[in-house]
Amino acid sequence: MIGTYKLELITVLAILGFIAIFLFVSSGGNHEFSGSDDIGSQKISELTGKPVESYQPLIPQYEPPSAEIEATLFALQSAFGALVLGFIFGYWLGQRKSSQTT
Amino acid sequence: MHIMEGFLPWQWCVVWWIIAIPFLFMGVIQLRSMIRNDRDTLPLLGVCGAFIFILSALKLPSVTGSCSHPTGTGLSTMCFGVCITSIIGAIVLLFQSLLLAHGGLSTLGANMVSMAIGGPLAGYAIYRLLKNSSLNIYITVFLVTAVADLVTYVITSFELAVAYPSQVGGIIASFGAFFAIFAVTQLPLAIVEGCVLALVFKYIIALKPEILIKLQVFSEDQISRAQQQGSMVTRTDG
Repeated sequence: MIGTYKLELITVLAILGFIAIFLFVSSGGNHEFSGSDDIGSQKISELTGKPVESYQPLIPQYEPPSAEIEATLFALQSAFGALVLGFIFGYWLGQRKSSQTT
Repeated sequence: MHIMEGFLPWQWCVVWWIIAIPFLFMGVIQLRSMIRNDRDTLPLLGVCGAFIFILSALKLPSVTGSCSHPTGTGLSTMCFGVCITSIIGAIVLLFQSLLLAHGGLSTLGANMVSMAIGGPLAGYAIYRLLKNSSLNIYITVFLVTAVADLVTYVITSFELAVAYPSQVGGIIASFGAFFAIFAVTQLPLAIVEGCVLALVFKYIIALKPEILIKLQVFSEDQISRAQQQGSMVTRTDG
C-alpha cells in the first residue's frame, strides 16, 4: 500500500517541509517576501551606485496599475495552464477507458 | 529570475538576443514538423507547456525571506528537447513582459537564455547522462527538473554579473552577490518542483506510456518497470 503511493507521500512531505520552512522564516525577523527580481534590481543599483529609479525601460511597456490586477493576470496564466492540463488528462483517461471496453 | 526592463545595458540585450534566436528558430522548425507528422504527441506537448504556464506563475516564499517562482521546464526538455521547450518558455516570458511588466522586451533575450534555453540545456545534459543508467526513472525526472530550475537562476546571476561587475572583485564577486539572491532562494523551490513533476510523470506513465515510448524518452523496459512500481492505475482502471 505504502509502496504504491511512495512518490505521492514524498511529494506531500516535501511540500509540508516547504511550508514549515516558510512558517519558521516568516515568524522570525521582519521579512517582506518581496520578489527576488526586485531584490536583484536593488543589488544592481547598489553595485553601480545609481538609484533604482534611474533605470528607465529601454522599450516602453505596459505596467499593471495595481498589485490586484497583477495578481489577476498571474492567476489567469496559471488557470490557463490548469485548464489545458485537466482537459488533456481527462481526454487520455477517457481514451484509455473506451479502448478497454471495446 | 526576470531581469527587469531597463536594467540591462542595450549591448548585453543584443548579445543575449543573438544567442537566443538560433534556438527559437530550430524550435519553430521542429514544432512545425511535429504538428505535421506527429499529431499523437501533441497532447503531451500541451501537458508539458501547461506546467510551464502554471509553475512560472506561482511566486513562492522561500528561506531568504523573498519570493521566487519555479520554471517547470524540465518535463518538456525530457520529452521534446531544448529547442521546443525554448518556444514554450518564450511564449510565457513574452506574456509576462507584455502584460505583467515582469521582464521586458529588451531583456527578453536574456530571460529566454536563462529560463527557456540555459536551464533546459543543463536539464537535458543530466537527462542524457542518467537516461540509460540503472537509476529509478523518477529520480532521473526529479534531478532533471530540479537542475533545470536551479541552473536558470545561476544563469540569471551570471548575466547580471557580466553586465555589472563589482568594483572590488569584478565579475566573480558580483556573481556571488546575485547568486546569493537568486539561487539560494531557489534551492527549496527546485526540490519541491522536482517532486511534483516526478509525480506528474508517474501519472503520464500510467495513462499514456505509449507516447513516452514512441518519443523514446525512456526505453520500453524502464517504463514497464516503473509501471509495476506504481501499480495504482492498473487497479483503478481494471
